[in-house]
Amino acid sequence: MYFFEDPQFGNRMITLMAAFVLVLQIAMVGQRWLVTNIRVFAAQSFLLAGIANTIAFFNHAPHLYVAAFLTCVLKGIVLPVLLERLVKRIDIGQEIAPIVNVPLSLLISGGLTTVGYVVAESFHHPEGAASPASLGRNTLAVAVSLFLIGFFMMISRRKAIMQVLALLSLENGLFLAAISLTYGMPLIVELGIFFDLLVAVMVLGILVYRIQETFDSMDVTKLSKLRG
Amino acid sequence: MSALVGYAFFGGLLAYATGAAASLITGRSARLARVLCCSFALAGALLETLSSWLALFAASDARWEIPAGVPFLVYSFRLDALSAYFNLILSLLAVAISIYSFGYLRPMDEKRTVGVFGFFYNLSLLSLTAVFTASNAFFFLIAWELMALTAYCLITFEHQHETTRQSGVLFFVMSHAGTGCLLIGFLLLNLFSGGLDFSSFSAASGKLTGVSQLAVFLLFFVGFGVKAGVIPLHIWLPEAHPAAPSNISALMSGVVIKTGIYGMARVLFEFLGVPPLWAGTVVLIVGVVSALLGVLYALMEHDLKRLLAYHSIENIGIILIGFGASLMFITLGYPRLAAIALIAGLFHTLNHAIFKCLLFLGAGSVLHATHTRNMEKLGGLIRRMPRTAFFFLIGAIAISGLPPLNGFVSEWLTYQALLAGFGTTEKLTRVLFPVAGSLLALTAALAATCFVKAFGITFLALPRSKEADDAHESGFSMVAGMGVLAAACVALGLGATWFLPVFDGITERLLGVRMSGELVAVKGLVLTSGSARGGTVSTAGIAAMFVILSALPALLWLLWGRKGHRYIEPTWDCGLPGLTAENEYTAFAFSKPLRMIFAALYQPRREIQAEYEVSPYYPTAIRFDSEIESPFEERLYAPLQKKILSIATWMRGIQAGSIHAYLAYIFITLIVLLLFGVRP
Repeated sequence: MYFFEDPQFGNRMITLMAAFVLVLQIAMVGQRWLVTNIRVFAAQSFLLAGIANTIAFFNHAPHLYVAAFLTCVLKGIVLPVLLERLVKRIDIGQEIAPIVNVPLSLLISGGLTTVGYVVAESFHHPEGAASPASLGRNTLAVAVSLFLIGFFMMISRRKAIMQVLALLSLENGLFLAAISLTYGMPLIVELGIFFDLLVAVMVLGILVYRIQETFDSMDVTKLSKLRG
Repeated sequence: MSALVGYAFFGGLLAYATGAAASLITGRSARLARVLCCSFALAGALLETLSSWLALFAASDARWEIPAGVPFLVYSFRLDALSAYFNLILSLLAVAISIYSFGYLRPMDEKRTVGVFGFFYNLSLLSLTAVFTASNAFFFLIAWELMALTAYCLITFEHQHETTRQSGVLFFVMSHAGTGCLLIGFLLLNLFSGGLDFSSFSAASGKLTGVSQLAVFLLFFVGFGVKAGVIPLHIWLPEAHPAAPSNISALMSGVVIKTGIYGMARVLFEFLGVPPLWAGTVVLIVGVVSALLGVLYALMEHDLKRLLAYHSIENIGIILIGFGASLMFITLGYPRLAAIALIAGLFHTLNHAIFKCLLFLGAGSVLHATHTRNMEKLGGLIRRMPRTAFFFLIGAIAISGLPPLNGFVSEWLTYQALLAGFGTTEKLTRVLFPVAGSLLALTAALAATCFVKAFGITFLALPRSKEADDAHESGFSMVAGMGVLAAACVALGLGATWFLPVFDGITERLLGVRMSGELVAVKGLVLTSGSARGGTVSTAGIAAMFVILSALPALLWLLWGRKGHRYIEPTWDCGLPGLTAENEYTAFAFSKPLRMIFAALYQPRREIQAEYEVSPYYPTAIRFDSEIESPFEERLYAPLQKKILSIATWMRGIQAGSIHAYLAYIFITLIVLLLFGVRP
């Protein structure tokens, strides 16, 4: 019996990678430069694809390979490239222009991670035979934290492009939660979500461009001028 | 037999639906659309009349269920006696209005909007039928809202005018507030019955206790009261009815406000269990107040259609007096008296529907010919539009409660119920009923005054404007539509005793007694009040007396008068020719004495400005302004509106317009809910 067929080993691998994903998410919060942020997101997506592959391998869920592949291609390569080109094309400054400053943001992210763990704890029922107990516990906590931190980034960053990025990392959290709890949603749902994301990013990209054109800035706080 | 009821019922619905679709499709050819719209509506109305007439006398309720495929919602129709009765009212009026509309809509032939009109008209007939026959609470609410929507579209049909749009919005807001109450009320009933079907509500009616009974009563009374237009929820009514095209005003005043009455009859008598005494008292008092204030405000109106709209409030009040008395009798344990009062209320519902519809169609005919609703500009129309004037007069006599027409019969029954209540031993009824009765008598007298004004100023004397002078009689279909209703007024008045068995099914179901046998004496010629001390009356006898007495002067003239000289001169000029319209009594002046008597209520404000050059005793021009207070708008609704607006302004602060703020709201809510959810 090879060591990599041991389910315990698989769980540890997954937990480790999930921890890295969380670290990368917090790194995004701490990061001040746009392009670096995009690359951190790409790295996070690769890790996520890795997690999906691992789960697929250890739990014999072949359709997750497809999801992993799509994550890799779309979120790891296509979307980051699209976003970087957008950044270059509209030639904006590299600062992310936070509303909440970076040290405080990191602190809040820490708090949100705690919330994530508290919430995930309530889903943990070791006696329940149906739930993948040891897998769910840590990974779900990371997933909820990813989601909350992503949401927080949407709120606390001024630039529209950062919100797109935050939305994408938020979706990473959702994806992680889905695969850690149920070994992935049905493939058709996954495909739908990916397609949705792609369209959303394209639309948002156009919107960001328009905001830049109209307001000569990407600061979404200026949109409040539109209020009647 | 019962199969025929079903075929006629669904055939009618199908005709309405086809009419709606057909007039929309053929909208490009206005003439075709108009004919299709009215013909299908007429066909549907005739079929519905047949089906409801048969269902009224059927031994068992007709019931059809069509599953909707959605939880809780079943398209269930039930034609029990009460539903059939209200559906009969609707379809009778729809027959007359559809005939009338052939001619009334003709001027719209150039405008091409008649297709849209036909669509909404047929749809509103369809939804009204559904309201009266729905037996599932959700289906009822859907039909109710569809009715409100189509009514809104019809009211604002002439949306070019700013005031019309405002009236429509007012109607919409009030209607929605009422529907909100109904929704809560039905959900409350559902808590007790566990079902949404009306039969489950009536089965569970015994389970309602003190507080829940109060809540159910208030919610439904307010919810249905808005639609019925009881004071103080009436403010939409005098705005919306005049704004609508006249055939729609007739439908609104005849049927749409009766949906509120239908709902009250259904809920108060079926779902409330044994009604507490205060319920009947509240209904009775609200009825008296509505009746009296309705007619008092009607007196001050010089706009023909607004005047009629205020009279609708008055008549809804009279109907509610019957209902309130009936509820009190049930509580006190007099089911026979309760049945008489209920019959009075329901009969007046039908009668009001018929004569109010007739009057609105008459007003529409006047409007059609003169393009003005202002009575001060009318006059002399009896020579120019004799048939309209005759039918309007019949409606006016009926609404004034004068014998021998139908309004008299139902008001007489109401009086009899109230007088019988005085004969009971309860203290409350011994005080309340005579007061209610005397105020009802005052109301009837004032209504008669008001229609002397409405008919006299509009139709008699000389025309006060060029428009009135140029007026012409309406076409055949309009006159025929009014004629049908006028005939119904006479028939229901003279033949009231033969009509009373219609109510047997209703009273037997709701109260367990059949009264028609006791209310009729001498082979149907005499109407009695069912008790030894009560009165009796015979409309047929009164009519016969009219004929005989009017023959008497002719006889006298034949005997003695033939030898004298005859002079033919204009009326009222005392032999001095040269009377002009300026010599005439005006509507404003006619109502002056009442404005002075009821000054405490009206709070009239008047302003006289005289312009002069030399001395104030020789004015060159006098300006006169008079205005009466509208207490409900100013004292009740204006503060309420102000409060709502200030709350809305305060709430607007939340709408910062910043994406971050909105996201933060969602985020904070999410975190709070998550933490709330994991609480052990």
